[in-house]
Amino acid sequence: MVAESTTVGAVRGPLEGVRPAFDLIARHRVLFTILFLVVLPWLAPYKALAVNILIFGLFAMGFNLVYGYAGMLSFGHAALFGLGAYGCGVPIAKFGFPWYVALPLGIIIATTAGVIIGWFATRSRGIYFAMVTLALSQVVYYVVYQSIWLTGGEDGLRGVSVPSISVFGIAELNLLDPTTKYYLILIIVAFALWIFSRILGSPFGAILEGLRENERRAAACGYDVNRTRWFAFILSSVFSGLAGALYAIHLSVVPIETLHYFTSAVVLMMTLLGGMGTFFGPFVGALVYLLLQDVVSVITVHWQLVVGCLFVLLILFFPRGIWGSLMHWLRI
Amino acid sequence: MSTAPVIATEGVGKRFGGFRALNNVTVAFYPGRLTSIIGPNGAGKSTFFNVLSGAFPPSEGKVLFEGRDITGTPQHVFPHLGIAKSFQITNLFPQLTALENVRLAAQALKSRFDIWTKRETLTELKEKAEELLDRVGLSKRRNDLAANLAHGEQRSLEIAVALASDPKVLLLDEPTAGMSPEEARAMMDLILKLNEQCTVILVEHRMKLVMGISDRIIVLHHGQLLAEGTPDEIRNHDEVRRVYLGQSV
Amino acid sequence: MTLDLFLLQLFTGLALGSIYVLVALGLSLIFGLLTIVNFAHGQFFMLGAYVGAFTLGFTGNFWLSLIVVPIVVGGIGMLCERFLVRPLYGRGIDYPLLLTYGLGLILLELVRIFAGTQGVPFSTPRFLAGAVDLHFFFFPKYRLFLIVATAVILLALWLLLEKTSYGLIIRAGARDQEIVQVLGVDIGRVWLIVFGIGVAIAGVAGVLAAPIRGVFPEMGVPVLVEAFVVTVVGGMGSLLGAVIAGLLVGVTFSFTSFFYPEMATLSMFVLMALVLVFRPRGLFGRAGVLG
Repeated sequence: MVAESTTVGAVRGPLEGVRPAFDLIARHRVLFTILFLVVLPWLAPYKALAVNILIFGLFAMGFNLVYGYAGMLSFGHAALFGLGAYGCGVPIAKFGFPWYVALPLGIIIATTAGVIIGWFATRSRGIYFAMVTLALSQVVYYVVYQSIWLTGGEDGLRGVSVPSISVFGIAELNLLDPTTKYYLILIIVAFALWIFSRILGSPFGAILEGLRENERRAAACGYDVNRTRWFAFILSSVFSGLAGALYAIHLSVVPIETLHYFTSAVVLMMTLLGGMGTFFGPFVGALVYLLLQDVVSVITVHWQLVVGCLFVLLILFFPRGIWGSLMHWLRI
Repeated sequence: MSTAPVIATEGVGKRFGGFRALNNVTVAFYPGRLTSIIGPNGAGKSTFFNVLSGAFPPSEGKVLFEGRDITGTPQHVFPHLGIAKSFQITNLFPQLTALENVRLAAQALKSRFDIWTKRETLTELKEKAEELLDRVGLSKRRNDLAANLAHGEQRSLEIAVALASDPKVLLLDEPTAGMSPEEARAMMDLILKLNEQCTVILVEHRMKLVMGISDRIIVLHHGQLLAEGTPDEIRNHDEVRRVYLGQSV
Repeated sequence: MTLDLFLLQLFTGLALGSIYVLVALGLSLIFGLLTIVNFAHGQFFMLGAYVGAFTLGFTGNFWLSLIVVPIVVGGIGMLCERFLVRPLYGRGIDYPLLLTYGLGLILLELVRIFAGTQGVPFSTPRFLAGAVDLHFFFFPKYRLFLIVATAVILLALWLLLEKTSYGLIIRAGARDQEIVQVLGVDIGRVWLIVFGIGVAIAGVAGVLAAPIRGVFPEMGVPVLVEAFVVTVVGGMGSLLGAVIAGLLVGVTFSFTSFFYPEMATLSMFVLMALVLVFRPRGLFGRAGVLG
């Protein structure tokens, strides 16, 4: 930590050359992230993995708003993601809705859950928040699990098939082609990224920073802490819900596991791995996590052991995550 | 000097479990005045300050602002009413710059849920923050992190943050805490200047500092109102002298 | 509803609640002193069941299992505290929580690796099988034993905390750690032991629950959620709250499953939601304890 120096940015020798580059990245973070994501399919071992990175990166970004920026540890984001998935999948699979109705529907349902869960959760502080979000998201899991007639219960939702998208009746885009699917989803994610960046750069974004720094001071300045946290949670659920809806379309099924609290832990892990409170971190985290999972699952079936060890190692030695540590070293 | 009090308490008491910190304190503060609240350690000054500034509600009694009952109003409403406070133990946003600390405080009255506008376009907030930093003498340190400021500078920043809401009433909890005598004198000069714009209520445990600048002094002892009056009246008050026996006044 | 039926449901609820009480108690104890939410608590519950099952398998002696479990599970807990959790003190309230979650995953998977994924059998000991005539109704002997065993453990814990000097240190440490350290007490040792006791109780809950719930690797997963619900209802850090809330949740579940079975699992969440609306700090929680 910088102690004596009051000038921001005294840089260590070897990294000095790279710093201007990262400064540029930080200032044009949306553009940089989109550029990276455009190139991703050609870097990833296979296209479906790239799509997963895209979707989980978005999910982690939504989560990051609540945890990294607002400082609230939620263990219930699986509910938002899962409800986005089911909320989009069920209309398509069971009622034959077109995708452009089902997708917004998924977001709306996830956001509604975010309003309710967020209200209950923000009535509690600190540790309670994690516990309440966990418990409430398990309620969602349980209800969906039981509603076999609607959701398929334990077997998951099948038949969310969107084979193609017609653009204004002119062109027909084949979603069965992984590359087309990737870039279509990327357009939506890019749009979401832009909005997310606007939020962070807005007056509300500044309040979140202040809240994370010193809640009491923020209240004394005139900010309604609970309302602000609730609003942040709701915003977060929009992004996480969108990610879920895209997930349903991507997989054509919705596994019940998307709602289990292990999924909440996964998105938490990704955010930690990448670097909480950074813009690009969630995508880095999603990429590393999914790649690792891919590699490890070939070697052993005990992926969860690796996840557990990863968690422990991260927390003990590397809490800033990959991108976060990089950003931190470059600032000093 | 108008006749109606700007902020007042009626029969305010506060219990913490079995411990009674305040008992039946009825006091009125008039606009434009600089009032100091003094008393020996444990007199209940901080508790009274906290009730007055909205940190927690009293167990009994009422807090009135411009005639309206504001008892139990949550903390975050106070700046919107026109009551601002600074904390006894420095309470800033440590990893934000001095400028951002004040700007964020100023923002609270303008925009709380705006998620679209770009922050930089709200130039009037930045200008206000610059002006306030200048008033407390921190212009040179505007881009430094609050955590990296010297203690005295942090206390000044606390004041700038409190001023950001254009308060009618400024509540300061031991603003000179931890300061050297020169710094404390400079702070008192600043507070006197601020008094030209707003009512100031000050909690201090160093009597000497406040005698020279206060219009009125309130003395608390064991959670109760011991005496109230001008500095001269307090200086010559028998009870006060007894309580402060051994301390030079 | 007749009196007989009412009492039967009540006692069933108390038996169920006993397990909740033990798990929540351990959680609250650990939180009260160490300010850590142990996300691995459900896995220590599961460990207790496995240790008990293996001890029972080797020795055939149920009582021996009940003694071995808290020692072994407590020991494992102390190792975890000393080497994994301890380094995180002072780093912020989230870190130990996250670490214990990772720890839980490791424990779960290790059990899967070493003990298989199918689970192991654990039958009710013969002398506790069958039902006992409680005049109003017949009640399974084992469930009655559960209630009694829990009461005994509560009594032992109460004696430890209220009547021994060590208990005094624990209670004082929960109130003000600095003073305790100034008085020359090795607070690290206290943390170690409290963490050990906390998870040991969870382990005992696991072996006690084994004949009813079965023993399989995933058995601890829902337990974490149940423990959280009970703790939110009772108030974090409050031992009395853990007891009252645990029994309350158990009884609520029991009665709900009689009248409206599909809602039974949801009933505890409804209870939690009500508490959050009307008394967010929990029935016995201290105001502002987490503010």
